[in-house]
Amino acid sequence: MAIRHYWPTAAAAVGFRLVLVLFGGDLHLASRPEVSTPLTSLRRLAEGYWLKQASMSPYSGSMYHGSPLLLSVLGPLTNSRPDGHHAHVYCSLIFVAVDFLAAMLIRATGQKLQTARNRSLKSLDLTKALSNTVNISAGDVASLIYLWNPWAIVTCVGSCTSPIENLMVVIMIYGACSRLAPLAAFGYAMATHLSLYPAILIVPVILLLGYGPDAPPPKVFLLKGSSASKSDVPDNDKTIRLRGVQQFSWKPVLHFIFWLFIWTCYVLLLSSVVLNKVGGFHDMFEKTYGFILTVKDLSPNIGVLWYFFAEVFDFFRSFFLIVFNMNIIFMVLPLAIRLKHRPCFLAFVYTAIVAILKSYPSAGDSALYLGLLGLFANELAEMQFTFFLFFGYIGVSLLSPVMHNLWIWRGTGNANFYFATGLAYTCLQTVLIVESVSSMIKHDRKLRLLVTS
Amino acid sequence: MGALSVYPVLLCYDLGLGELAFRFLMREQDALHYYSIIALFLLPSLAKNTYLSENALIPGSANPLFSTEDGIEANRFMKGIEAVVGDSIGGSGIDMANFIAQQIEDLGAEVCYHRFLPHSKHFQPLKFFTSTTNDMVIQPNSTDINFGINTIGIVRAPRGDGKEAIVLVTPYNSQRVQSNELLSLALGFSVFSLLSRAAWLSKDVVWLSADSQFGEYAAVSAWLNQYHNPVFLSHTVTLDTKIYGANHRYDGSSEKKGFKSFKRAGTMAAALIFKVGETRRHGDRDSVMMYAEASNGQMPNLDLLNVIHYLAVHRQGFRVNIAAFSSLLSSAWLRVIAEIFHTLGSVLRKINPDWKLDIMVPDYVEGTANLANSMYNQALGVPTGSHGAFRDYQVDAVSLEFLPTFHVKNENAKSLFLLRGGRLIEGVVRSVNNLLEKFHQSFFLYFLTAPSKFISVGVYMIPFALLLAPLPIVAAALADGRSMEKMVDLVDDSKADGSADILQSKSGSWKWLQAAKVLLVIQLWAVLVSLIPYYITQIPDCTPMQSALIWIMLSIIILIALYVMFGSPYSAGVEWKLLKATMITSISIGLGLMSIINFATAQLGALIVIPMSLFSRPLKASGMNFLPRAVLLASNVALAVLGFPPAMLLIMKGLSKGSWIVDIGDFWVWMEFLWEWSSATYLYIFLVHLPCWLLCINVLLHPCHQPGEAKMKQE
Repeated sequence: MAIRHYWPTAAAAVGFRLVLVLFGGDLHLASRPEVSTPLTSLRRLAEGYWLKQASMSPYSGSMYHGSPLLLSVLGPLTNSRPDGHHAHVYCSLIFVAVDFLAAMLIRATGQKLQTARNRSLKSLDLTKALSNTVNISAGDVASLIYLWNPWAIVTCVGSCTSPIENLMVVIMIYGACSRLAPLAAFGYAMATHLSLYPAILIVPVILLLGYGPDAPPPKVFLLKGSSASKSDVPDNDKTIRLRGVQQFSWKPVLHFIFWLFIWTCYVLLLSSVVLNKVGGFHDMFEKTYGFILTVKDLSPNIGVLWYFFAEVFDFFRSFFLIVFNMNIIFMVLPLAIRLKHRPCFLAFVYTAIVAILKSYPSAGDSALYLGLLGLFANELAEMQFTFFLFFGYIGVSLLSPVMHNLWIWRGTGNANFYFATGLAYTCLQTVLIVESVSSMIKHDRKLRLLVTS
Repeated sequence: MGALSVYPVLLCYDLGLGELAFRFLMREQDALHYYSIIALFLLPSLAKNTYLSENALIPGSANPLFSTEDGIEANRFMKGIEAVVGDSIGGSGIDMANFIAQQIEDLGAEVCYHRFLPHSKHFQPLKFFTSTTNDMVIQPNSTDINFGINTIGIVRAPRGDGKEAIVLVTPYNSQRVQSNELLSLALGFSVFSLLSRAAWLSKDVVWLSADSQFGEYAAVSAWLNQYHNPVFLSHTVTLDTKIYGANHRYDGSSEKKGFKSFKRAGTMAAALIFKVGETRRHGDRDSVMMYAEASNGQMPNLDLLNVIHYLAVHRQGFRVNIAAFSSLLSSAWLRVIAEIFHTLGSVLRKINPDWKLDIMVPDYVEGTANLANSMYNQALGVPTGSHGAFRDYQVDAVSLEFLPTFHVKNENAKSLFLLRGGRLIEGVVRSVNNLLEKFHQSFFLYFLTAPSKFISVGVYMIPFALLLAPLPIVAAALADGRSMEKMVDLVDDSKADGSADILQSKSGSWKWLQAAKVLLVIQLWAVLVSLIPYYITQIPDCTPMQSALIWIMLSIIILIALYVMFGSPYSAGVEWKLLKATMITSISIGLGLMSIINFATAQLGALIVIPMSLFSRPLKASGMNFLPRAVLLASNVALAVLGFPPAMLLIMKGLSKGSWIVDIGDFWVWMEFLWEWSSATYLYIFLVHLPCWLLCINVLLHPCHQPGEAKMKQE
């Protein structure tokens, strides 16, 4: 079931962004801690570019912490300032295009997932059994969620580089879903280069390339096979069904690793060209990855780490840095084992976990995983607490600016006020992840019960 | 960490705490409303005595230096300025400013003028949230003849580094000079002259004699705006102002360069606005009225009020008052309530001597009248004086109005009054001068029930929390699509049925999306309605009546247009329970937000909105006996009428003034008042209250088809 008026709605979203960029005036979104972080702020990028133009290392001082490649792509645009618009209008126009591209890739990914889903349901003879439940085109839903998500809009208009990071992650997932190893490797190399955390997405990408897009658990196919072998079904049909169980194919994975090597070398080469004479790799890694991992900037954001590291005793700092960074890695393996038959969903869960636990989270990260959540609209139709989550997200996103205003401008609140919203937000995201994973598992169990009954 | 933080919640749920709380709240949701109202009336008896938190203030520790000679100085100043006012015909503003400036200069202090234009009316409901400090300073240019002049004197502290300042403000109307205003100018001057000789000052002292011909607030806020936003004039503009200055009637002394440039001291530690009010005939002692409410219910730090109260009462023998609703002071029903509370309190006192709830009846009545006024002023969100302008720059400020009992011609009484008033102000300046940090020790969030009694945020949150507590639970129960009674039973046996119902596809967990869509459309409408006045104010020569009518017409047209575009609430077959659930959730978000921005608005708003939303039920809904249903319907309709903002306004007007004439123009005037002062109450009325009211109406008029029927119709 396709969505009515898909293209007008999508066009309206792009138009809305354009109107905000061109006629919105200066909305001061770039100074909101929810929107731009020290890593993604375009204002810092302009500073880095200026330093580079002055033949200094863009990383000198503590302003810029992004990639050198962004400096040479977006840097020249930050210099020109047209009259009557806000400072970074050209960059914002690029981000609008980037967002649209990301939405289209999400839609294409959704279509790939949809065909894979229909194929596996057909091989399990469940098309009829599930026809009474919701069956909507997940790609359309996901791309519309991404385009109309207020946070994605705010991120796009608010002069920060998150849309580009999000696009790289989406390119990676799309490439892996459609088994285009070079594209997936490009997305992976770029995403990791830009913000480090997508590195853990190597697991779902390899699973996607090896097994193909999401399918019901292999056990279900085996059950189906055994029940079919009991009955007198022609052999021909049986082999078709057994083909539903995918074998791990090494060829695309090796392809991916080869291309990953090439793209990584290429990115490093380009970086060294950009940083030629103004800084070295040591400087770059220390000021980008080092800055991410050691949580040097403790200015408030919607995460919880800034508050914790502002409070923690100095001699415990290194210990807790290790704990918090390992926290993400701890979750990788158990989830990968449990959800290995649904690598795309696994990628969504990883991005959501990263958005919670990364050192400088922003609304842009949430925009990405909420967009990806739409890809599983059919599987998650029976998810619980959706009402609570929806209004919780609305409440937190309204509360956060008010608390910030109360603390910073009115002076009647304090840091705890703002941190409380950050904590509530983290709880909401945790509930979202827990609920979506459990309802996905429930969905798989339902398929199994349907096959056996 | 995020993951960790959820575990306690889940643990509580497993232990059954959630279940217990849920059961309790489901059963008690109506009762909670009454509890909260009782708790609200209990507040005056829960008020605590104020105490000084900041030790550095040590009020009254030094002997006041303000002597009778300073009083004589004040008299001399007053004679002088009276002569100036008498001499000049028509515009005495410039002459008075010149005289004050001359006097200040004679003291050896720095002086400058500040010219400003009257504040024009703007539609600026969001100004409070955007940073207010970035306003462009509008300089009067040579074409304006109608402008005000503030005169500013600055004493540089002999022991300070010039980084901090204390501000004294004496407003006077230069166009209509009154003797009591001259007296306050004289008081200000004498204190200033004393401070110019003080060796102990470590903060600069700024004396602003504010020309209040366009209102006190306009004068003070214009000065503060220029103080905080330096303008770097280009060369041509500076030249222009010089020529302009020469063209006007500045005499020789003011032609000096020093008079032209705007002078500043350091960041403001505190500000004290004082004026002498009209003489009161009755009363035994001179009294001081204290005004503290700034925009959107912000209050100065309680320590500032404590210092003033302590010095005024215990050192100078003034009576300190705060504004009260005088009608409540004489009301019989309040007295009855006071008696009841007193009796209950004394019984409780006998049970446990630590429970000191047995407040005396007159104290309770006065406390309630003060509290009601305090709440009303905070809820309105409009500052009660020019101290509000200071609070916009995070400066703690308070207005004092001296109410003398003597006649202005009585020289003896006047000099005594000047002595006491001067000593009070000197003492306050001395205390603030001792501060090493900003005011931060004491409370910012409080209500006053008496000048020395307050209710802190921890106490006054309780009635509000009681009001708000059932909302999320009711919303959750309704959103689940089952009736509340069943829900309570369901908690019991939900653990039993396990995985049996996995196969039954419920697919109901996203049904609320339609209701959320209705909510979003209505919120969009509310945003548009709240923005319409910006365009209506552009129409020239529009009477309030016409403006209000245009507003209402446009609102209705927009509502119809939105329903045509996105479908009316009933066309998609939304269940009324889901509609009600979304309404309740949106209210709890809105009230929660508002309670942070301006607590008093949220508290008063909740008293209307919450019953309106909790009782709302379709008129056509069946399933109840006749009598309860009739009562529910009647209360529904009554609340729906009460909840409509113009109707509510009319009733409030009728209750306060006794006139029941329907005039839609009044509504416009009221709303204009709110948005000009950028009160968040305007936003509350239009973005929280109005959508809730419309949703209530939608629920009331819900056709109550079965879902199946709706589907049939669609096909």
